[in-house]
Amino acid sequence: MIEATRKPLQEIFAMIRTYREARRPQDFLRVLTVGCGGCTSVCMAGGQREVLALSEELTMMARSEKVPVLFSCTTIERQCNPQFLEDIEDLAQDCDCLLSCACGAGVQHLGDRYPSKPIFPALDTMFLGVDIDTGLYEERCRACKKCVLGITGGICPLTRCSKGVLNGPCGGTRPDGTCEVGGGLRCAWNAIYERLRDQGRADDLLEIRPPMDWQEKGQGVLIQRGFEGRYAAEDTKADRG
Amino acid sequence: MSESTSRAIMAQRIGRILSRNGALIRLSLQACAHCALCAESCFKFQESGGDPAYTPSYKAINSIGKIYRKNGRLSESEYRAVSELVWDRCALCMRCYCPVGISIPSLIACARNVCRERGVFRTYDGTRNA
Repeated sequence: MIEATRKPLQEIFAMIRTYREARRPQDFLRVLTVGCGGCTSVCMAGGQREVLALSEELTMMARSEKVPVLFSCTTIERQCNPQFLEDIEDLAQDCDCLLSCACGAGVQHLGDRYPSKPIFPALDTMFLGVDIDTGLYEERCRACKKCVLGITGGICPLTRCSKGVLNGPCGGTRPDGTCEVGGGLRCAWNAIYERLRDQGRADDLLEIRPPMDWQEKGQGVLIQRGFEGRYAAEDTKADRG
Repeated sequence: MSESTSRAIMAQRIGRILSRNGALIRLSLQACAHCALCAESCFKFQESGGDPAYTPSYKAINSIGKIYRKNGRLSESEYRAVSELVWDRCALCMRCYCPVGISIPSLIACARNVCRERGVFRTYDGTRNA
């Protein structure tokens, strides 16, 4: 799941205030805060409750700093899905700018839907991670597009090794199995070795892996297997149009 | 803001959602043949061992269908029951299939929107809602 955390209130407010002062100094600015019922709701950064609280805090800040801004809020199921963006059509038309409580993908998708409305992110998207406990999340995936977990015992070296090496360990592993970088961080390659050893697969590590092809890391587009025909046909139509 | 004013605003916002989606809800409720073919496409239904309460059509009819019929005037406990249906029994994975073409996810999403306006929603930290 995508994990995110809210930006400091001052930073969010500064984005809105700067926009108002630079572009609409005479206006009573109407800001629509849009929550997301997906990942950012689950990690308690941008769901309905968080959006209500943020809207209230921003309203209080605007009052105390005498900035004429009206904050309203709503939450949609997922900002990364066009179907759900339709739900705020009327609210979006009635506002001057949008404040999104989604991940980076959701913010951009909402911005694409309403290109005439300035959009500001209220959250910092952190990583793809797992829920360790309520409010505690750990990164597990860098979405590198070339998953190696099958040969590393289910432990991602790109995410969990400080240097992201693919043929580790680097030589900086301490005797207690922690990383030389410090902070009590466990050496990912030590963990990989131990897991593969326990599974009787330690020999697999002797095979040298090629380096990651970082050159092909532009914007990704995924057409799921089985859907090639559908989208190839649409491309052809678009080309003809 | 007084309680009566905030209640009036809440009712107005719920009314707006129902009116915006009214045609979709009415048509969907009329078109549903109760064939239960959507059940097989729901992983929650499969996981529950075939509990009919997990059938996508059941979830839609007993959430937004109920809300729409009562024009949003459900009691607190009724809203909680709806919230349980649309959040606990549905992941909104959008994989449910209806042979008639009813968009069940749109109906569930609409029910969730109404619940949020009513102040009943999932918070993911063990509490039910704010």
